[in-house]
Amino acid sequence: MPEMNQTRGRSSAFWWGLIIVLLAVASNFLYWLRVPQRLIPWINLILPAIGLLLIIIGLKRLWPSGRLWAKILGIVVTLVSATVFAFSVWLFVHVRDVPGPAGAPKVGQKVPDFSLADTSGRSVSLTELLTNPMENASRPKAVLLIFYRGYW
Amino acid sequence: MEKDLKEFQAAGVRPVAISVDTPEQSRDLCKKAGYTFPLLSDPKLETTRRYDLVHRGGGPEGNDISRPAEFLVDSTGTVRWENFTEDIRVRPRADQMLAAAKAIP
Repeated sequence: MPEMNQTRGRSSAFWWGLIIVLLAVASNFLYWLRVPQRLIPWINLILPAIGLLLIIIGLKRLWPSGRLWAKILGIVVTLVSATVFAFSVWLFVHVRDVPGPAGAPKVGQKVPDFSLADTSGRSVSLTELLTNPMENASRPKAVLLIFYRGYW
Repeated sequence: MEKDLKEFQAAGVRPVAISVDTPEQSRDLCKKAGYTFPLLSDPKLETTRRYDLVHRGGGPEGNDISRPAEFLVDSTGTVRWENFTEDIRVRPRADQMLAAAKAIP
């Protein structure tokens, strides 16, 4: 009986680590949900780190009593988790690699006017967007300019 | 975005999206996503440059694109609210923008 409890205690770190790594992968899809977004990038980074650490600790504990196939499986799981962690670090750095908006219009300043083509090729100016009535026939109070990276 | 559209319109806000995509590419995106608000094309980044939002080499083939940014502009052309995200995956909060829109007389 005591032996069984010992084995369970030794292996739990490994399995918890694996569960956390799987949760870490899933956490990358939190952006699609309507939840406060600021903390998600940090969750994406910290979860794989914790998961990898637990897997390594758990594997070390299981190693002496493990059979060959179990040791190989343990190493594979560790390598995959290390890859997930490395990828999450790279992604974290990469998505923050955005230039600062130093010269962009600030609150209280006037924005530059423009005239750009819409999806039908027709030229539309900022003045038109600010004055033409909307679908509910009222004049807009404001225009929300959304600059985005593009569709790809 | 399209889901928020009714809320924006009720608050008197007209959303307009701008990117380096051509009108054809924007048409595809509109069809796919079901957008009904205007998508404008700035393929030479002339307007994006005037707003100082160019992300050099930020595109998939190393091409220049716009960095993400939102400006709430009132009828005099003045900025009332803006947002510049640090992480391109994090979407802006509509409630802050709508609060700023409400504050416009």
